[in-house]
Amino acid sequence: MQDKRARFEASVLPHLDAAYRFARWLSRSGDAEDLVQEAFLRAWRGFEGLRGGDVKAWLFTIVRNCHATALQQGQRRAVLSLRDAPLPAMRTHSEPAGDDPESVATAEEERRSLRSVIAALPDEHREVLLLREMEDMSYREIAQVTQVPIGTVMSRLARARAALRGKWLEQASGGPRAVR
Amino acid sequence: MQCAEALRVQAYFDGEVDALTALEVERHAGHCGECRELLEQLTATRARLRQELEFPQAPAALRASIRRLLDEDRGASAAEGPGRVRSQGRPALKWLGALLAGGAALAAAVLLFFRVSAATDPLLDDLLSAHVRSLMPLHLTDVVSTDRHTVKPWFAGHADVSPVVVDFNEQGYPLVGGRADYFDGQRVAAVVYRHGTHIINVFAWAAGGHALPEFSSRSGYHIVCWKLGNLQYCAISDTGWDELQALTRLLRAAGSADQPRLDRYLDK
Repeated sequence: MQDKRARFEASVLPHLDAAYRFARWLSRSGDAEDLVQEAFLRAWRGFEGLRGGDVKAWLFTIVRNCHATALQQGQRRAVLSLRDAPLPAMRTHSEPAGDDPESVATAEEERRSLRSVIAALPDEHREVLLLREMEDMSYREIAQVTQVPIGTVMSRLARARAALRGKWLEQASGGPRAVR
Repeated sequence: MQCAEALRVQAYFDGEVDALTALEVERHAGHCGECRELLEQLTATRARLRQELEFPQAPAALRASIRRLLDEDRGASAAEGPGRVRSQGRPALKWLGALLAGGAALAAAVLLFFRVSAATDPLLDDLLSAHVRSLMPLHLTDVVSTDRHTVKPWFAGHADVSPVVVDFNEQGYPLVGGRADYFDGQRVAAVVYRHGTHIINVFAWAAGGHALPEFSSRSGYHIVCWKLGNLQYCAISDTGWDELQALTRLLRAAGSADQPRLDRYLDK
Protein backbone atom coordinates (compact mmCIF):
# COMPACT_ATOMS: atom_id res chain seq x y z
CA MET A 1 0.00 0.00 0.00
CA GLN A 2 2.66 2.43 1.12
CA ASP A 3 4.66 1.23 -1.83
CA LYS A 4 1.89 1.85 -4.35
CA ARG A 5 1.44 5.37 -3.02
CA ALA A 6 5.15 6.06 -3.26
CA ARG A 7 5.35 4.74 -6.81
CA PHE A 8 2.30 6.77 -7.81
CA GLU A 9 3.80 9.92 -6.30
CA ALA A 10 7.05 9.29 -8.12
CA SER A 11 5.73 8.37 -11.55
CA VAL A 12 2.28 9.93 -12.02
CA LEU A 13 2.14 13.07 -9.87
CA PRO A 14 5.08 14.71 -11.69
CA HIS A 15 2.77 14.97 -14.72
CA LEU A 16 0.14 16.94 -12.83
CA ASP A 17 1.07 20.30 -14.33
CA ALA A 18 1.04 18.88 -17.85
CA ALA A 19 -2.26 17.09 -17.25
CA TYR A 20 -3.74 20.32 -15.94
CA ARG A 21 -2.58 22.27 -19.02
CA PHE A 22 -4.08 19.63 -21.28
CA ALA A 23 -7.33 19.61 -19.30
CA ARG A 24 -7.60 23.39 -19.59
CA TRP A 25 -7.42 23.19 -23.35
CA LEU A 26 -9.82 20.27 -23.47
CA SER A 27 -12.49 21.67 -21.22
CA ARG A 28 -12.17 25.32 -22.29
CA SER A 29 -13.88 26.38 -19.09
CA GLY A 30 -13.48 26.50 -15.36
CA ASP A 31 -13.86 22.80 -14.68
CA ALA A 32 -10.36 21.74 -15.74
CA GLU A 33 -9.66 21.11 -12.06
CA ASP A 34 -12.60 18.74 -11.68
CA LEU A 35 -11.50 16.94 -14.82
CA VAL A 36 -7.95 16.50 -13.53
CA GLN A 37 -9.15 15.31 -10.11
CA GLU A 38 -11.38 12.73 -11.68
CA ALA A 39 -8.60 11.58 -14.01
CA PHE A 40 -6.13 11.22 -11.14
CA LEU A 41 -8.58 9.18 -9.12
CA ARG A 42 -9.12 6.86 -12.08
CA ALA A 43 -5.38 6.71 -12.68
CA TRP A 44 -4.83 5.81 -9.02
CA ARG A 45 -7.40 3.02 -9.14
CA GLY A 46 -5.99 1.64 -12.37
CA PHE A 47 -2.38 2.11 -11.36
CA GLU A 48 -1.81 -1.53 -10.34
CA GLY A 49 -2.73 -2.61 -13.87
CA LEU A 50 -0.08 -0.36 -15.42
CA ARG A 51 2.86 -2.45 -16.55
CA GLY A 52 5.70 -0.21 -17.57
CA GLY A 53 5.03 1.86 -20.66
CA ASP A 54 4.64 5.55 -21.03
CA VAL A 55 3.08 7.00 -17.88
CA LYS A 56 2.48 10.47 -19.28
CA ALA A 57 0.68 9.19 -22.39
CA TRP A 58 -1.31 6.80 -20.18
CA LEU A 59 -2.36 9.63 -17.86
CA PHE A 60 -3.27 11.91 -20.78
CA THR A 61 -5.40 9.15 -22.28
CA ILE A 62 -7.30 8.96 -19.00
CA VAL A 63 -7.75 12.75 -18.89
CA ARG A 64 -9.06 12.70 -22.44
CA ASN A 65 -11.40 9.78 -21.74
CA CYS A 66 -12.75 11.47 -18.63
CA HIS A 67 -13.44 14.55 -20.71
CA ALA A 68 -15.19 12.52 -23.42
CA THR A 69 -17.31 10.69 -20.86
CA ALA A 70 -18.31 13.94 -19.23
CA LEU A 71 -19.25 15.38 -22.60
CA GLN A 72 -21.38 12.37 -23.42
CA GLN A 73 -23.14 12.53 -20.11
CA GLY A 74 -23.75 16.19 -20.71
CA GLN A 75 -22.48 16.96 -17.24
CA ARG A 76 -20.25 19.75 -18.34
CA ARG A 77 -22.56 22.47 -19.35
CA ALA A 78 -20.42 25.00 -21.08
CA VAL A 79 -18.24 22.75 -23.16
CA LEU A 80 -20.55 21.44 -25.84
CA SER A 81 -19.83 24.30 -28.14
CA LEU A 82 -16.11 24.51 -27.65
CA ARG A 83 -15.42 27.31 -30.04
CA ASP A 84 -17.98 29.66 -28.52
CA ALA A 85 -16.97 28.89 -24.96
CA PRO A 86 -15.11 31.64 -23.10
CA LEU A 87 -11.34 31.34 -23.22
CA PRO A 88 -9.69 30.19 -20.01
CA ALA A 89 -8.68 33.01 -17.73
CA MET A 90 -5.36 34.54 -18.63
CA ARG A 91 -2.47 33.89 -16.36
CA THR A 92 -1.45 37.15 -14.74
CA HIS A 93 1.89 38.01 -16.25
CA SER A 94 4.19 39.79 -13.90
CA GLU A 95 4.84 43.10 -15.54
CA PRO A 96 8.29 44.41 -14.87
CA ALA A 97 8.21 47.89 -13.35
CA GLY A 98 8.84 50.64 -15.88
CA ASP A 99 7.80 48.51 -18.84
CA ASP A 100 6.04 50.47 -21.52
CA PRO A 101 2.33 49.79 -20.92
CA GLU A 102 1.70 50.05 -24.64
CA SER A 103 4.06 47.19 -25.47
CA VAL A 104 2.68 45.12 -22.60
CA ALA A 105 -0.77 45.57 -24.06
CA THR A 106 0.47 44.53 -27.49
CA ALA A 107 2.10 41.38 -26.15
CA GLU A 108 -1.08 40.55 -24.29
CA GLU A 109 -3.06 41.12 -27.45
CA GLU A 110 -0.78 38.81 -29.39
CA ARG A 111 -1.17 36.06 -26.84
CA ARG A 112 -4.87 36.54 -27.01
CA SER A 113 -4.86 36.27 -30.77
CA LEU A 114 -2.67 33.18 -30.63
CA ARG A 115 -5.14 31.60 -28.26
CA SER A 116 -8.05 32.50 -30.47
CA VAL A 117 -6.29 31.14 -33.54
CA ILE A 118 -5.57 27.85 -31.78
CA ALA A 119 -9.07 27.77 -30.33
CA ALA A 120 -10.49 28.13 -33.84
CA LEU A 121 -8.79 24.92 -35.00
CA PRO A 122 -10.93 21.79 -35.21
CA ASP A 123 -10.69 19.83 -31.92
CA GLU A 124 -8.80 16.88 -33.38
CA HIS A 125 -6.23 19.18 -35.00
CA ARG A 126 -5.79 21.34 -31.94
CA GLU A 127 -5.11 18.49 -29.54
CA VAL A 128 -2.48 16.95 -31.81
CA LEU A 129 -0.77 20.30 -32.22
CA LEU A 130 -0.74 21.01 -28.48
CA LEU A 131 0.48 17.55 -27.53
CA ARG A 132 3.35 17.94 -29.97
CA GLU A 133 4.36 21.56 -29.43
CA MET A 134 3.35 22.18 -25.84
CA GLU A 135 3.99 18.74 -24.33
CA ASP A 136 6.74 17.63 -26.71
CA MET A 137 5.15 14.22 -27.14
CA SER A 138 6.29 11.78 -29.80
CA TYR A 139 3.99 10.68 -32.63
CA ARG A 140 3.62 7.33 -30.90
CA GLU A 141 2.54 8.96 -27.63
CA ILE A 142 0.12 11.27 -29.43
CA ALA A 143 -1.33 8.29 -31.30
CA GLN A 144 -1.81 6.53 -27.96
CA VAL A 145 -3.52 9.49 -26.33
CA THR A 146 -5.78 10.38 -29.25
CA GLN A 147 -6.38 6.74 -30.20
CA VAL A 148 -5.71 7.15 -33.91
CA PRO A 149 -2.98 5.65 -36.13
CA ILE A 150 0.37 7.46 -36.37
CA GLY A 151 -0.32 8.34 -40.02
CA THR A 152 -3.43 10.21 -38.92
CA VAL A 153 -1.42 12.03 -36.25
CA MET A 154 1.03 13.14 -38.93
CA SER A 155 -1.59 14.44 -41.35
CA ARG A 156 -3.57 16.20 -38.61
CA LEU A 157 -0.41 17.81 -37.33
CA ALA A 158 0.49 19.02 -40.82
CA ARG A 159 -2.99 20.45 -41.32
CA ALA A 160 -3.00 22.16 -37.91
CA ARG A 161 0.37 23.76 -38.57
CA ALA A 162 -0.63 24.91 -42.04
CA ALA A 163 -3.88 26.39 -40.70
CA LEU A 164 -1.96 28.22 -38.00
CA ARG A 165 0.44 29.73 -40.55
CA GLY A 166 -2.47 30.70 -42.77
CA LYS A 167 -4.25 32.48 -39.92
CA TRP A 168 -1.09 34.30 -38.94
CA LEU A 169 -0.49 35.47 -42.47
CA GLU A 170 -4.10 36.65 -42.63
CA GLN A 171 -3.68 38.61 -39.42
CA ALA A 172 -0.41 40.10 -40.53
CA SER A 173 -1.88 41.41 -43.77
CA GLY A 174 -5.46 42.43 -43.08
CA GLY A 175 -5.99 41.74 -39.41
CA PRO A 176 -6.91 44.09 -36.59
CA ARG A 177 -3.30 45.22 -36.18
CA ALA A 178 -3.20 46.68 -39.67
CA VAL A 179 -6.43 48.52 -39.04
CA ARG A 180 -5.10 50.17 -35.90
CA MET B 1 0.74 21.84 -54.64
CA GLN B 2 2.62 20.35 -51.75
CA CYS B 3 5.69 18.28 -52.36
CA ALA B 4 5.06 14.56 -51.81
CA GLU B 5 7.87 14.56 -49.26
CA ALA B 6 6.16 17.12 -46.99
CA LEU B 7 5.06 14.60 -44.35
CA ARG B 8 8.52 13.06 -44.22
CA VAL B 9 10.06 16.52 -43.89
CA GLN B 10 7.70 17.20 -41.01
CA ALA B 11 8.61 13.88 -39.36
CA TYR B 12 12.28 14.78 -39.78
CA PHE B 13 11.63 18.16 -38.17
CA ASP B 14 9.90 16.43 -35.26
CA GLY B 15 12.87 14.11 -34.74
CA GLU B 16 10.76 11.10 -35.70
CA VAL B 17 12.91 9.54 -38.42
CA ASP B 18 15.84 7.16 -38.22
CA ALA B 19 19.30 8.20 -39.32
CA LEU B 20 18.89 6.81 -42.82
CA THR B 21 15.64 8.64 -43.51
CA ALA B 22 17.13 11.79 -42.04
CA LEU B 23 19.91 11.50 -44.55
CA GLU B 24 17.44 11.11 -47.42
CA VAL B 25 15.36 14.06 -46.24
CA GLU B 26 18.45 16.26 -45.95
CA ARG B 27 19.47 15.30 -49.45
CA HIS B 28 15.97 16.01 -50.72
CA ALA B 29 15.72 19.38 -49.00
CA GLY B 30 19.04 20.22 -50.60
CA HIS B 31 17.40 20.49 -53.98
CA CYS B 32 13.72 21.06 -53.15
CA GLY B 33 13.04 24.72 -52.41
CA GLU B 34 9.51 23.96 -51.28
CA CYS B 35 10.68 21.59 -48.56
CA ARG B 36 13.42 23.96 -47.43
CA GLU B 37 10.74 26.61 -47.01
CA LEU B 38 8.55 24.12 -45.16
CA LEU B 39 11.39 23.45 -42.71
CA GLU B 40 11.78 27.18 -42.11
CA GLN B 41 8.06 27.58 -41.54
CA LEU B 42 7.95 24.64 -39.13
CA THR B 43 10.80 26.17 -37.15
CA ALA B 44 9.14 29.59 -37.05
CA THR B 45 5.77 28.15 -36.05
CA ARG B 46 7.26 26.15 -33.22
CA ALA B 47 9.29 29.11 -31.98
CA ARG B 48 6.25 31.35 -31.89
CA LEU B 49 4.03 28.74 -30.24
CA ARG B 50 6.52 27.88 -27.55
CA GLN B 51 7.24 31.50 -26.87
CA GLU B 52 3.66 32.63 -26.63
CA LEU B 53 1.78 29.64 -25.29
CA GLU B 54 1.12 29.68 -21.61
CA PHE B 55 2.51 26.93 -19.46
CA PRO B 56 0.48 27.35 -16.28
CA GLN B 57 1.16 25.14 -13.29
CA ALA B 58 -1.56 23.24 -11.52
CA PRO B 59 -2.94 25.29 -8.63
CA ALA B 60 -1.60 24.24 -5.24
CA ALA B 61 -5.16 23.63 -4.07
CA LEU B 62 -5.67 21.09 -6.87
CA ARG B 63 -2.50 19.24 -5.94
CA ALA B 64 -3.58 19.16 -2.31
CA SER B 65 -7.06 17.92 -3.08
CA ILE B 66 -5.71 15.14 -5.29
CA ARG B 67 -3.45 13.99 -2.45
CA ARG B 68 -6.44 14.08 -0.13
CA LEU B 69 -8.47 12.03 -2.60
CA LEU B 70 -5.73 9.41 -2.76
CA ASP B 71 -5.55 9.25 1.03
CA GLU B 72 -9.29 8.74 1.29
CA ASP B 73 -9.31 6.12 -1.42
CA ARG B 74 -6.47 4.30 0.26
CA GLY B 75 -8.34 4.40 3.57
CA ALA B 76 -11.35 2.83 1.89
CA SER B 77 -9.46 -0.06 0.35
CA ALA B 78 -7.40 -0.68 3.50
CA ALA B 79 -10.63 -0.90 5.48
CA GLU B 80 -11.82 -3.68 3.18
CA GLY B 81 -9.20 -6.15 4.28
CA PRO B 82 -7.46 -5.08 7.48
CA GLY B 83 -7.38 -8.61 8.93
CA ARG B 84 -5.41 -10.00 6.07
CA VAL B 85 -2.90 -7.23 6.21
CA ARG B 86 -2.40 -7.47 9.96
CA SER B 87 -2.12 -11.24 10.26
CA GLN B 88 0.55 -11.35 7.60
CA GLY B 89 2.26 -8.28 8.88
CA ARG B 90 5.01 -9.80 10.94
CA PRO B 91 6.20 -12.72 8.82
CA ALA B 92 5.97 -10.49 5.80
CA LEU B 93 8.24 -8.01 7.51
CA LYS B 94 10.78 -10.71 8.26
CA TRP B 95 10.77 -11.84 4.65
CA LEU B 96 11.04 -8.28 3.52
CA GLY B 97 14.05 -7.77 5.77
CA ALA B 98 15.78 -10.85 4.42
CA LEU B 99 15.00 -9.83 0.86
CA LEU B 100 16.28 -6.33 1.42
CA ALA B 101 19.53 -7.57 2.93
CA GLY B 102 20.05 -10.01 0.08
CA GLY B 103 19.07 -7.40 -2.45
CA ALA B 104 21.48 -4.87 -1.02
CA ALA B 105 24.36 -7.32 -1.22
CA LEU B 106 23.47 -8.17 -4.79
CA ALA B 107 23.14 -4.51 -5.69
CA ALA B 108 26.56 -3.79 -4.20
CA ALA B 109 28.09 -6.64 -6.18
CA VAL B 110 26.45 -5.51 -9.41
CA LEU B 111 27.52 -1.94 -8.79
CA LEU B 112 31.09 -3.05 -8.16
CA PHE B 113 31.08 -5.13 -11.33
CA PHE B 114 29.87 -2.20 -13.40
CA ARG B 115 32.32 0.17 -11.79
CA VAL B 116 35.23 -2.12 -12.52
CA SER B 117 34.27 -2.82 -16.10
CA ALA B 118 33.52 0.86 -16.67
CA ALA B 119 36.78 1.93 -15.11
CA THR B 120 38.82 -0.34 -17.37
CA ASP B 121 37.46 1.12 -20.59
CA PRO B 122 35.66 4.44 -20.36
CA LEU B 123 36.47 4.68 -24.04
CA LEU B 124 33.68 2.23 -24.79
CA ASP B 125 31.25 4.70 -23.20
CA ASP B 126 32.61 7.43 -25.45
CA LEU B 127 32.15 5.17 -28.43
CA LEU B 128 28.61 4.32 -27.48
CA SER B 129 27.61 7.94 -26.99
CA ALA B 130 29.31 8.94 -30.24
CA HIS B 131 27.34 6.22 -32.01
CA VAL B 132 24.02 7.18 -30.43
CA ARG B 133 24.70 10.86 -31.12
CA SER B 134 25.36 10.06 -34.75
CA LEU B 135 21.90 8.52 -35.09
CA MET B 136 20.20 11.78 -34.21
CA PRO B 137 18.96 13.94 -37.06
CA LEU B 138 21.67 16.00 -38.75
CA HIS B 139 24.50 14.21 -36.98
CA LEU B 140 25.21 11.12 -39.04
CA THR B 141 27.66 12.35 -41.62
CA ASP B 142 29.78 15.38 -42.35
CA VAL B 143 30.64 14.13 -45.82
CA VAL B 144 27.98 12.13 -47.62
CA SER B 145 29.32 9.87 -50.29
CA THR B 146 29.27 6.31 -51.44
CA ASP B 147 32.61 6.93 -53.10
CA ARG B 148 35.63 6.04 -51.00
CA HIS B 149 37.76 8.39 -53.07
CA THR B 150 35.66 11.23 -51.73
CA VAL B 151 35.42 10.08 -48.14
CA LYS B 152 39.02 9.12 -47.54
CA PRO B 153 40.65 12.40 -48.63
CA TRP B 154 38.05 14.30 -46.61
CA PHE B 155 39.48 12.79 -43.42
CA ALA B 156 42.89 14.26 -44.20
CA GLY B 157 41.61 17.69 -43.25
CA HIS B 158 39.17 16.67 -40.54
CA ALA B 159 40.63 13.85 -38.47
CA ASP B 160 44.05 12.91 -37.12
CA VAL B 161 44.10 9.57 -38.87
CA SER B 162 43.31 8.18 -42.29
CA PRO B 163 41.36 4.97 -41.84
CA VAL B 164 40.50 2.22 -44.29
CA VAL B 165 37.50 3.30 -46.37
CA VAL B 166 35.92 0.84 -48.77
CA ASP B 167 32.43 0.63 -50.19
CA PHE B 168 31.18 -2.89 -49.47
CA ASN B 169 27.91 -2.37 -51.34
CA GLU B 170 28.14 -5.73 -53.09
CA GLN B 171 28.61 -7.51 -49.78
CA GLY B 172 25.57 -5.72 -48.31
CA TYR B 173 27.42 -2.94 -46.47
CA PRO B 174 27.15 0.20 -48.60
CA LEU B 175 29.30 3.15 -47.59
CA VAL B 176 27.17 6.06 -46.39
CA GLY B 177 29.78 8.68 -45.59
CA GLY B 178 32.27 9.95 -43.06
CA ARG B 179 32.25 12.11 -39.97
CA ALA B 180 34.79 13.54 -37.56
CA ASP B 181 34.24 12.99 -33.83
CA TYR B 182 36.28 14.04 -30.86
CA PHE B 183 37.07 11.87 -27.91
CA ASP B 184 40.04 10.48 -26.01
CA GLY B 185 41.78 13.80 -26.65
CA GLN B 186 41.95 13.45 -30.41
CA ARG B 187 39.98 13.87 -33.58
CA VAL B 188 38.53 10.52 -34.45
CA ALA B 189 37.49 9.40 -37.91
CA ALA B 190 34.07 7.77 -38.16
CA VAL B 191 33.21 5.86 -41.33
CA VAL B 192 29.50 5.17 -41.65
CA TYR B 193 28.16 2.02 -43.25
CA ARG B 194 24.65 0.77 -43.67
CA HIS B 195 23.44 -2.79 -43.38
CA GLY B 196 19.74 -3.23 -44.12
CA THR B 197 18.11 -0.63 -41.94
CA HIS B 198 20.98 -0.54 -39.45
CA ILE B 199 23.71 2.05 -39.24
CA ILE B 200 27.21 0.91 -38.39
CA ASN B 201 29.81 3.40 -37.22
CA VAL B 202 33.44 2.38 -37.64
CA PHE B 203 35.66 4.61 -35.53
CA ALA B 204 39.39 4.88 -36.08
CA TRP B 205 42.03 6.70 -34.08
CA ALA B 206 45.72 6.44 -33.24
CA ALA B 207 46.07 3.38 -31.01
CA GLY B 208 46.93 4.28 -27.42
CA GLY B 209 48.53 2.23 -24.70
CA HIS B 210 45.57 0.40 -23.29
CA ALA B 211 43.92 -2.55 -24.94
CA LEU B 212 40.19 -2.62 -25.60
CA PRO B 213 38.20 -5.87 -25.37
CA GLU B 214 37.68 -7.42 -28.79
CA PHE B 215 33.97 -7.99 -28.18
CA SER B 216 31.73 -6.06 -25.84
CA SER B 217 28.12 -4.96 -25.55
CA ARG B 218 26.65 -1.81 -24.07
CA SER B 219 22.97 -0.90 -23.79
CA GLY B 220 22.08 -3.35 -26.55
CA TYR B 221 24.79 -2.19 -28.94
CA HIS B 222 27.55 -4.55 -30.00
CA ILE B 223 31.11 -3.31 -30.21
CA VAL B 224 34.02 -5.00 -31.98
CA CYS B 225 37.51 -3.56 -31.53
CA TRP B 226 40.69 -4.42 -33.38
CA LYS B 227 44.05 -2.92 -34.14
CA LEU B 228 45.59 -2.61 -37.55
CA GLY B 229 49.03 -1.11 -37.87
CA ASN B 230 49.03 1.81 -35.48
CA LEU B 231 45.33 2.43 -35.79
CA GLN B 232 42.68 1.37 -33.33
CA TYR B 233 39.39 0.45 -34.99
CA CYS B 234 36.01 0.07 -33.34
CA ALA B 235 32.80 -0.96 -35.06
CA ILE B 236 29.54 -0.39 -33.22
CA SER B 237 25.94 -1.07 -34.17
CA ASP B 238 22.64 -2.55 -33.11
CA THR B 239 22.92 -5.28 -35.75
CA GLY B 240 23.45 -8.86 -34.66
CA TRP B 241 26.94 -10.13 -33.83
CA ASP B 242 27.23 -12.04 -37.10
CA GLU B 243 26.40 -9.06 -39.28
CA LEU B 244 28.78 -6.81 -37.38
CA GLN B 245 31.61 -9.33 -37.50
CA ALA B 246 31.12 -9.89 -41.23
CA LEU B 247 31.84 -6.20 -41.79
CA THR B 248 34.85 -6.18 -39.48
CA ARG B 249 36.27 -9.20 -41.35
CA LEU B 250 35.88 -7.33 -44.63
CA LEU B 251 37.53 -4.25 -43.15
CA ARG B 252 40.42 -6.23 -41.68
CA ALA B 253 41.00 -7.98 -45.00
CA ALA B 254 40.89 -4.67 -46.87
CA GLY B 255 43.18 -3.11 -44.28
CA SER B 256 45.82 -5.79 -44.37
CA ALA B 257 45.75 -5.74 -48.17
CA ASP B 258 46.64 -2.08 -47.80
CA GLN B 259 49.29 -2.75 -45.20
CA PRO B 260 52.27 -4.15 -47.19
CA ARG B 261 52.11 -1.32 -49.68
CA LEU B 262 52.17 1.13 -46.83
CA ASP B 263 55.19 -0.64 -45.29
CA ARG B 264 57.07 -0.58 -48.57
CA TYR B 265 56.32 3.09 -48.86
CA LEU B 266 57.64 3.74 -45.34
CA ASP B 267 60.83 1.75 -45.98
CA LYS B 268 61.87 3.97 -48.85
